[in-house]
Amino acid sequence: MTQVTMIPKTVYTDLCDIVGKDYIATGPLATFAYTQDASIFGGTKSQMIIRPGTTEEVSLILSLVNEQGIPVVIRGGGASVLGQPRGEPGSNILFDMTRMNKLLSIDEKNMTMTVQAGIIMSKLQRECQKAGYYKRLPLPPIHIATLGGWLSAAGGGSGLVQETVGMTVVLPNGTVVSTGGGPGTNINQPSLFNRYLGGPDLTSLFMGDCGVFGVKTEITTRITHPPAAVRASAFVFRCLEDTLEMVDRYMERVDRQPFDPISVFCPATAKTFIPVSGDEEPYVVLGILYAQSLPEMDVKLEFFNSLAEQLGGTRNPVLDAMMSSLALVNLDSSEEEKNAREKADANWLSSLNALGLPALLSYTLPRNGFVECLKELYRFRNTGLEEARQKGYHWTSSFEAFTPIDPSTIYGDMAVFFPDTKNTELAEFINKFTRDYLEFGCKIGSIDTHKQGFMTNKFAKYWSPSYKELYQTIKYAVDPKNILNRDLWIPEDEEKKF
Amino acid sequence: MTVWTNTELKKVSSFIYNCRKCGMCGNKTSDTIPYVCPVKEHTAGFEHFYSRGRLVIAQGLLENQIIPSQELADIVYACSLCGNCTEQCGMTDPRTGLPLVDGARVIEAMRADLYRTHPEYLAKGYHRALSATRQYDNPWESPRLKKQKWPQGIKLKNAQKEPVDVLLFVGCTIPSNPLLVDRARKAAIILKQAGIEVGILGKNEPCCGSVQRRIGAVDLFHEMMERNIRFLNSLECDMIVTLCAGCYHTLKKDYASADEKLSPKVYHMVEYLSQLIKERKMAFAGKQSIRVAYHDPCHLGRHMKIFDPPRFVIENLSGVTLTERSSTKENTICCGAGGGMRLLAEGDLAEKIGKEALVSALDAGAEGLVTACPFCEINLETASQRYDIMLPVYDIVDLVSEAIKS
Repeated sequence: MTQVTMIPKTVYTDLCDIVGKDYIATGPLATFAYTQDASIFGGTKSQMIIRPGTTEEVSLILSLVNEQGIPVVIRGGGASVLGQPRGEPGSNILFDMTRMNKLLSIDEKNMTMTVQAGIIMSKLQRECQKAGYYKRLPLPPIHIATLGGWLSAAGGGSGLVQETVGMTVVLPNGTVVSTGGGPGTNINQPSLFNRYLGGPDLTSLFMGDCGVFGVKTEITTRITHPPAAVRASAFVFRCLEDTLEMVDRYMERVDRQPFDPISVFCPATAKTFIPVSGDEEPYVVLGILYAQSLPEMDVKLEFFNSLAEQLGGTRNPVLDAMMSSLALVNLDSSEEEKNAREKADANWLSSLNALGLPALLSYTLPRNGFVECLKELYRFRNTGLEEARQKGYHWTSSFEAFTPIDPSTIYGDMAVFFPDTKNTELAEFINKFTRDYLEFGCKIGSIDTHKQGFMTNKFAKYWSPSYKELYQTIKYAVDPKNILNRDLWIPEDEEKKF
Repeated sequence: MTVWTNTELKKVSSFIYNCRKCGMCGNKTSDTIPYVCPVKEHTAGFEHFYSRGRLVIAQGLLENQIIPSQELADIVYACSLCGNCTEQCGMTDPRTGLPLVDGARVIEAMRADLYRTHPEYLAKGYHRALSATRQYDNPWESPRLKKQKWPQGIKLKNAQKEPVDVLLFVGCTIPSNPLLVDRARKAAIILKQAGIEVGILGKNEPCCGSVQRRIGAVDLFHEMMERNIRFLNSLECDMIVTLCAGCYHTLKKDYASADEKLSPKVYHMVEYLSQLIKERKMAFAGKQSIRVAYHDPCHLGRHMKIFDPPRFVIENLSGVTLTERSSTKENTICCGAGGGMRLLAEGDLAEKIGKEALVSALDAGAEGLVTACPFCEINLETASQRYDIMLPVYDIVDLVSEAIKS
């Protein structure tokens, strides 16, 4: 059993002097409220929650608790799907970063905005739009994930990682560092305008680090002018091979970051959109297209549609109707249209949530060998579902889709939803099923894209020795007392190094 | 001391387990939703100050992982029960359209279990309101005779003694408050001028039990509800018109859970006025000239979906222009007075929240803020004084009364 180390009273007093008493919670119920997040794996037990408001506060807190060796766990919006880092359950101080939610500045010439890292992404977008600019963001977690959390997880697909110009990070000992080419790499250059200039790209060090190297407090990211139009187009394909041909051919032509996303809905999900007959197994390919002008949009739509038709894709009237009501944004959209779009954005997550307890079975696979690996994953899932059926657990729907992150990488989900949300034994079954699935995925070469929490330890087991060595060297250099997200990626038997 | 039993919490456990803990109830934002939870926004913002964290705590109680304490009372009573968390969560049963997660119902259940087992944790203001209910049949320690006195000079029927078209149910708050009492008189005059046979119950008008239920005194509420239904069903009237959004919600929605159903149909004054205008039973002249915003009371709007009738009434008043705030109708941010929040810490948090409603009305170019609930009105009025915001607050009855006089 883990020994809980109590935080000394003098430390508590000092912490109150740093952030103010109101922003520290120590009550058993207040701390208990942080023991769950959006995942079925949940959060951790902490003895104190702090909501810091500035980089300076984070720096002062870390320098104080680092001296004492008090473990710290960082939490953004609590939107993780793989569980929060555990730190040292019961002994932790948990940083709730969502108080750091302000827009700090917009640099109109360099087309960047700087925000505090705890900003929820929909607020970021709103602030951006208020200033007359636009920030493309991933749809599902837009109302629940923080920008800092998303980058710590290196959330794929949205281009946010690539669009990050630089960031301010507080290292575990309280040192404040700025990354990105600009003032960080040339003291005579006050603007942060391109992260790859100067020395090594140290911004990348903190991408997907799950907060183990430091606490992100400020982020500078690229913005664009608002798109003149956003359109959606969808086609039905009759087999996986043709579908992948469409994906490949599209990716050959659309290589900018962030690219216009193309997604594939596999038969189990596709059938919920379109009526099919007999044993048809339709795949729906959906393209979302952004354009800065209407002529550009015409060209893009023409390209997408003619490519799909060339490759045997067919239109479907139900899908066409959905496409015309989906993602139609013009600069001259009415308030009513904008409101309807906003509602639709949120309804997406609500509808998914309403399906029940999820077994979120995701994968990230190379394009080469994708079909074979995918079939193995399906086999594993189906075996698990058969076991569930024998135990009397019923699932009512599944969400099966994949999307290329880049030409060589495909990310996908084969999530299953169980409506009996009150059944604690079922919850345990799903928990174990998901863990086993992740383990199986690693064994056939799937590599994690969600670096969101303690379940990522599953993936770390499969790191190569040299990669692990490099990781541990860096971790030891920046966090010799291993205070930040302590449980992640360092097997217990190797903790003695620290 | 009674042992904690989770009696009420078990009844709403589906809401707790259906919640996926995504946090949209606390973090969603858009042009029309500046924030979801007014309490989270105006406190230090920890998880336990909004729905997700509270549902985690509720689950902890159900699973005996945590025990009730003073801290629990501090958490569950810092909620205006406005229901915006449920609205913005948006999880609904596709078959029934009903919410799969209802944060306000879970808070009410925790309050009920807490009051039954640990009443000592409740703030003094709540005990006073409950004690006053037993003494005066209202939560405000207001002599019953006040309900008798307000109609002086207006000839109204005694609904206990003769049949009436409409029973004007003024509620406890309006007659007890000198700033509001004129509202009841105006409402009665408006209805009479429209040719309606209005009846009242005077000092025998019972308290509906809304405040008691929201505080968590569900046993007392059930007694009141059953007694009131028997009494109201004994009257010769087909229609009850309330002036208070809390009374309306309680009589129409909460009373529907009783074994014996309430016979008279229940309307809020805004619904009835809207109907009278449509039937051309009211005529207005236009001496007023004012631009107003309408504040949807949570008990009338989000909980009962009455959004259009008040706007229809306002738009029909000559000289009155309606402007909408950025967050309106189902997205309206609570005034802060709901859920007994004015009884907590002398209304401090409630008024902080109320300030936002006033500022958003000013931002929309309003010269006045109109509502249809005495709780909203009191809190908004108090907030305007406390924060020195020059924006008059009206009840919709004020504007209609003025238009009729004109």
